[in-house]
Amino acid sequence: MKVLYGRVLKTILLFSCLLLLLVPVAYGEDYDEIFSQANDAMASGDLPSAITLLNKIPVSKSDDNSAFVRSRMQIAKLHFALEDFAAASAAAQEVLDIYPQNSEAMNFMASVRQTQKPKYAVFFEDCLRFLPQLLKGAVMTITLVFCTILISPIGGLLIALGRLSSFKPVSGLCWFIIWLFRGTPLLLQLFFIYYGLPSLGITFKPFTAAVLGLGLNYSAYLGEIIRGGIQSIEHGQMEAAKAIGMTYWQAMRRVIIPQTYKRLMPPVGNEFIALIKDTALVSTIAMVELMRSADQMFNAYFNITALILAAIIYLLFTTFFTFIFEKIETRAGIYENR
Amino acid sequence: MKTANQPLLSLNGITKRFGALTAVNGVDLDVCPGEIVVIIGPSGSGKSTLLRSVNFLEEIDDGTIVFEGNEVGYVKNKHGRRHLDAPAKICALRSEIGMVFQHFNLFPHMTVLGNVMEGPLTVQKKSAEEARAIALDMLAKVGLSEKRDVYPATLSGGQKQRVAIARALAMRPKLMLFDEPTSALDPELIGEVFDTIRSLGKEGMTMIIVTHQMGFAKEMADRVIFMEAGSFVAQGTPEDFFANQMEHDRIKSFLTRIL
Repeated sequence: MKVLYGRVLKTILLFSCLLLLLVPVAYGEDYDEIFSQANDAMASGDLPSAITLLNKIPVSKSDDNSAFVRSRMQIAKLHFALEDFAAASAAAQEVLDIYPQNSEAMNFMASVRQTQKPKYAVFFEDCLRFLPQLLKGAVMTITLVFCTILISPIGGLLIALGRLSSFKPVSGLCWFIIWLFRGTPLLLQLFFIYYGLPSLGITFKPFTAAVLGLGLNYSAYLGEIIRGGIQSIEHGQMEAAKAIGMTYWQAMRRVIIPQTYKRLMPPVGNEFIALIKDTALVSTIAMVELMRSADQMFNAYFNITALILAAIIYLLFTTFFTFIFEKIETRAGIYENR
Repeated sequence: MKTANQPLLSLNGITKRFGALTAVNGVDLDVCPGEIVVIIGPSGSGKSTLLRSVNFLEEIDDGTIVFEGNEVGYVKNKHGRRHLDAPAKICALRSEIGMVFQHFNLFPHMTVLGNVMEGPLTVQKKSAEEARAIALDMLAKVGLSEKRDVYPATLSGGQKQRVAIARALAMRPKLMLFDEPTSALDPELIGEVFDTIRSLGKEGMTMIIVTHQMGFAKEMADRVIFMEAGSFVAQGTPEDFFANQMEHDRIKSFLTRIL
């Protein structure tokens, strides 16, 4: 009998131990139930019910990752989604009251504060964040534009004079250059110079390749514009220059070409404004200029402000150039004023 | 004719064709130093082409040009084909022969002074001060000193043509060619240009003038030539020409239309 009693007691003890072990597990299962119900509510779009459900989970000081912290952060995010920023902050604050160092809650509070700031303040902060990088890119863009503006009028003038030459091989060569560079995309020309020529043993640094590509392309376009300008000068000017004994080149240099300046300004201005924007293409050959910088910022932060800023900088450049070219045009045509 | 030792300019059998059209057909002409030759004739008769040939602005197809006793302007290559002489030679010849155009052809981007200075400065490589002194001299000669700093766009037609004359004179040419110098002018502006040409004639300048102004031809010319269809039809002193050549039917009908 005593043995039987002892066994029964043992069994009861064992059972009660098992029960004791089961209690917390059962409680845990309860919370999971709550979370899963809340998830269902969220899935069906009933956010307030989800908040009510999650609020059933009591305050607990056990550890950082407890159901309590999870539930309150979820509540905070739900309030945030419902644009109830005060309630969202309150929920995160509940966590911070107990765990002042909780990083998730701190980040959440920060982003709530960010959201509650006026739009212009956020834009301004983004500007400050992106500007240094974008300005670096803008300096490269302006450098490229400047180099091309130095090279292409000289190249263009040579091509124009070559086209007008009565010596067939020269005019033929210049016709070919124009045909080639106007007839293919600038992007392809840049690719060919940077990625294609190395296979023929000619390697360029990205900057050299970019200036070469832009310079040749714009020389070809300006060549045709300058040729048109030269041919638009009345024939009598060349004859009058020759009649006082000038050579062809003296007449070109002293009489014909100076008269083309005013006529050339509008189309050349057009080309140079197109050039400012075409420099964006060199981002494809490992150059970091304004467009590439903006693209990098946009991809890193997924923030449209970077693109808006880049657009503003491009507009500043083009406006400046338009203004300068109008001034030069007025200056170049001063002799026409009566 | 004023003097007649050696002609300053001799044209022998000058022929110029434009495709099927023969603009100048075997023209002979001797111009003595100090002589004023006036060529008249209907439009398209080849007057301008002949004048431009003298300045090598047209490359002639046949004939020779003799200037100061030397055959000039054309050389034969090794295949015996004739072509224009080297540019440097042509430019040197042109700088001794001044030309004035119907439409002035002033350089619009240079001031009046700049236009007149341009030849001495660029072609003769004179210093700026020297070129300026010559230009001011020439502008005084055509009576436009006060206009020296303005651009041609502000001048009247007559003033423009006088500047063009000054520009040609600045090269100190031995021969002046005038290609219808008053045809683009309003009638009241013609006088000032002719006054300028007249004073040149008094200084003994040798000139060939193509014009439609018969009054001027009568007054100024040492010789009047009527040109038609690329050839000289008649020529003579003004008295002789206007008195006797009138019986020539073509000249008569031309003159009656002009006068």
